Amino acid sequence: MRFRLNVLFLLLFTFLLVTTAGAATDSATCLSCHGSMEGAVNVNKDKYAKSVHGSFDCVTCHMAPKGAQHAGLKGAAPDKAVKEFAAALAPKGLKDPLAAAACVGCHPDKVEAYKGSIHGQNVIVKRSADGPVCTNCHGVPHYIEKRPSMASKVYLYNVVESCGKCHEEKHITEKYKFSPLVMERYKESFHGRKLKLGHSGAPSCASCHGAHDIKSTKDASSPVGSIENKKKTCGKCHSGATDKFVAAITHRPLHPIAHFTEIALIILTVGTFMFIITHVLLDIFADIRDRLFRKGGDHHE
Amino acid sequence: MNKNIPLEIQRFDLSARIQHIIMFTTFLILSFTGWGLKYAFVEPSSAWINVWGGPRIAGIIHRIAGILMLLDFIYHQFYLLNLARKKDLRLTIIPMPQDVVNMIHQFMYYFGLRKERPYYGKFTYLQKFDYWAVYWGMFIIGTSGFFLAFPVTVSALFPTWTLPWAWDVLFIMHSDEALLAIVFILIIHFYNEHLRSEYFPMNWLWLTGKMPIEQFKHHHPAEYDHLYGKGSDKKK
Repeated sequence: MRFRLNVLFLLLFTFLLVTTAGAATDSATCLSCHGSMEGAVNVNKDKYAKSVHGSFDCVTCHMAPKGAQHAGLKGAAPDKAVKEFAAALAPKGLKDPLAAAACVGCHPDKVEAYKGSIHGQNVIVKRSADGPVCTNCHGVPHYIEKRPSMASKVYLYNVVESCGKCHEEKHITEKYKFSPLVMERYKESFHGRKLKLGHSGAPSCASCHGAHDIKSTKDASSPVGSIENKKKTCGKCHSGATDKFVAAITHRPLHPIAHFTEIALIILTVGTFMFIITHVLLDIFADIRDRLFRKGGDHHE
Repeated sequence: MNKNIPLEIQRFDLSARIQHIIMFTTFLILSFTGWGLKYAFVEPSSAWINVWGGPRIAGIIHRIAGILMLLDFIYHQFYLLNLARKKDLRLTIIPMPQDVVNMIHQFMYYFGLRKERPYYGKFTYLQKFDYWAVYWGMFIIGTSGFFLAFPVTVSALFPTWTLPWAWDVLFIMHSDEALLAIVFILIIHFYNEHLRSEYFPMNWLWLTGKMPIEQFKHHHPAEYDHLYGKGSDKKK
């Protein structure tokens, strides 16, 4: 009943808005409908207000909402940079490309870096839908939070998971011939473990590979693309990093020697474990036996 | 002949007892802090590491404890040298063929094939194993731990062809052998010195250094006979 009343009220309200076209384009206007709608069009009012862009009007990014129900709700005309970026992102087949490109309005430097990155190049030059756009890493656009917060998808402690959304996906790793164990090998490394435990000095993926301007590791301009760059990158934490030192981290599957060392040590551990547990159990049984049948054991004369 | 048989026998002098206390304190600290890193992806680990002051502090504690343990181990070698100098060192801790015989006898005793426990000397084969396990651990875990603590410096020592696996091997050695040490201590040492009905809640030897003579005669008959002569043991 209440839902129906809401719908009725909102329809009336929309009608009122349409008749007074262009009067109010603040977020409250949009949220009066989208705040209670269900599905993908829903925007959580509180989460939006809390987000870093919470004070924006919806039309700041959704400059030209489509459909009759939005008639009269328009933002500023998109400028050249937004139009260009929206056109560049066309391979992604986004619902509102202008809104996805709107980031460039305030973050031109980040977008510029992104355009040159392996991620950006894959979308813009190779016209592939695989490369991420801003929201693939930063999360749902309405709820983007500032970085030093666990709610941010690109926060030090969350970014590994965000990268893993694609780099752990089989069809992506196969298509682009990534080492399928990249994420796993990172996670079981000292770096990955320390980061997992909350060590603020531990490196995430972005700490070494870069973020908006990320390059393929085969690209010599990547911070880990050449020995010289690696020495600089590793040297940020490990001062005096040498050629030999930077060879330590490859994210490649475990080398056979290491693999068989591990197996040998596991056999040793399990073998020792079996032996001592048998020994202890036999000792307990013998102790009980002696107490029951040999009158208090053989050491109280 | 009956020599003067004391009521208690000194098994460990003060220095040995202090070495043992340092050894087990650092061992426990190393296990507790290392465990959190080894199982970082098992959920309670972050909370557990926070008990130790967070990953940064836990790492520092782990390194300090490691260095203390190494120093304790090195000190022990000088302690042995000093005993040798005073001609006080008997090689009773060296594994001998007799230990294999003793082990077979021990198992025969367990299965009821022998009435008596083996004729043990100053140290049983399990005690010898326990002692030399520390050397094994010091070599494997100590070396790898020292390497892992100074990666930049140590990498210069490695030949290039070892680099693709050296660090993984060091890491595996450090963490798997530590697990082996923990499992061993937790089962054998805790059972033998804490849980056994005759010692529970613990064998106070680690504090007093002394063992009642009856217990000593029961557990180390060969050593008893060596010290007081076979004849002193009337029931034999």
